[in-house]
Amino acid sequence: MLIMSDVSKVYPGGAMALQDVNVHIEPGEFVFVVGPSGAGKSTFIKMLFREVLPTTGSIFVNGVDILSLTPKEIPFLRRQLGIIFQDYRLLPDRTVFENVAFAMQVIEAPHRKIKRQVMNVLDLVGLRHRANAYPNELSGGEQQRIAIARAIVNDPVFVIADEPTGNLDPETSWDIMDIFKEINATGTTIVMATHDKEVVDAMGKRVIAIEKGRIVRDEKEGVYGYEI
Amino acid sequence: MRFSTMDYFVKETYKSIRRNGFMSFASISTVAVSLLVLGMFLMIFLNTNNLAQYLESQVQVSVYMQDSATAKELASVKDKLTKMPGVVKVTQVSKQQALERFKKRLGDQQQLLSSLGKENPFPNSFEIQVDSPERIKVLTPQIGQLPKVETAKFGQEVVEHLFQLTKILRFGGIILVVFLAMATLFIISNTIRLTVFARRKEVIIMKYVGATDWFIRWPFLLEGMTLGFCGAVVASLFINSIYSGLLERIHATLAFLPLLPTYPLLLYVDVFLLVAGTGIGALGSYISLRKFLQV
Ligand SMILES: Nc1ncnc2c1ncn2[C@@H]1O[C@H](COP(=O)(O)OP(=O)(O)OP(=O)(O)O)[C@@H](O)[C@H]1O
Ligand SMILES: [Mg+2]
Repeated sequence: MLIMSDVSKVYPGGAMALQDVNVHIEPGEFVFVVGPSGAGKSTFIKMLFREVLPTTGSIFVNGVDILSLTPKEIPFLRRQLGIIFQDYRLLPDRTVFENVAFAMQVIEAPHRKIKRQVMNVLDLVGLRHRANAYPNELSGGEQQRIAIARAIVNDPVFVIADEPTGNLDPETSWDIMDIFKEINATGTTIVMATHDKEVVDAMGKRVIAIEKGRIVRDEKEGVYGYEI
Repeated sequence: MRFSTMDYFVKETYKSIRRNGFMSFASISTVAVSLLVLGMFLMIFLNTNNLAQYLESQVQVSVYMQDSATAKELASVKDKLTKMPGVVKVTQVSKQQALERFKKRLGDQQQLLSSLGKENPFPNSFEIQVDSPERIKVLTPQIGQLPKVETAKFGQEVVEHLFQLTKILRFGGIILVVFLAMATLFIISNTIRLTVFARRKEVIIMKYVGATDWFIRWPFLLEGMTLGFCGAVVASLFINSIYSGLLERIHATLAFLPLLPTYPLLLYVDVFLLVAGTGIGALGSYISLRKFLQV
């Protein structure tokens, strides 16, 4: 469960990125965060994994007030989250397998479990056969699928994605969305900022629209609602 | 720590040292040279110290009597000397014996004797051995107070000079150590800075997937420690062969010089260098991590 209550963010320099945001996300939901450029979507996303601290308000992840976490506790918050970025952020000097295994090594999973689990998630994203390839040998869509595999390899409770299809063509975006749907079907909560009108409209999921830092719309089965 | 984690750290460290090839080499070399100088210095210091101690233990007090002392007075002084605490042995040296010794020492330059004239210029004397070097300083002035004693002195000059030298060495050594340690710290922290820079993407991702700060720090620390350790191994190898070679040579020519034997000296010095190298490596990377790794 994700709760933001009365959250505002003013960046140093004065940019009012979010104002009085109140959100309640139930386990297993699939939530799109939409809005024009500069509306505060990335800020919203980053606050969930404590990359950005709100200026006022509070945020709860699974009942834990994440603003009260000490630096030592932050890694354990992040282990409950799978984080995905627009630019994939894979390590170029590691193979596909190693990139995904990396996330498990970092939390000190045992060797045998790593091998099995990495192969499982590579299967899920349909890239088991490219396990030994390097990121630069893959298309953008394939790279994003690896990044998704890495995000879910530790069985996170939430998957948080900031414009995961932002660099991809529509066709590829659909493939990626299918994977997210599958992940969501296993009960994982998904929060995704996106500009992808077609996808949002077709999926019929919850849509939170942000404009100038304020939530202007929050619909259970929403649409993108902006002209591009 | 899990085995798989250690395995991971070792692999990461190895990869990183290889990737930084030239800087790794430069770091190891710097550590090696610094520790080599440090090690040599340590050997010189320990040997000088040893030499001073050896000479001090050899020291005896020489008591020179006034010429006016009668045989009876000499006997009474000898008696008093023998009863003094800490005195092990008292040897009486007559004027005649002293002259003989002098002749012997002159060797083939006997003509110098004539310059002494007819009179035997050497006084009656006693040579006293004491049980510990510390006693000498206390006893000597006491002996000087005895009747008919002209002077009492011990061969303090050589020893004092040697101790002076070890003091200077110690002082110079500290300055040198500080200087070398700083140079080594600098180069290691610089290397680790490059590593941190080369791996900043990785560090960011590690944070996103929930790595603890120490998990992120360990490979960097290990890298610094490995560089320090490798440098120390090189320095130790050099020191060992240099010192063994030197000992062999000196034994052949200057056998009387009481140099410290290779064992256990080299063992101690090697252990010291390895610990110092590894420690400096760890500290060097830690400095860099504090500055450049915002975890
Ligand atoms: N680190 C920062 N420092 C200062 N201002 C920032 C910072 N990050 C974002 N902002 C400002 O906060 C506002 C919201 O930015 P944010 O990145 O959340 O927008 P966004 O909705 O993700 O936009 P986009 O769709 O272009 O990604 C913008 O006005 C932006 O300039
Ligand atoms: Mg954004």
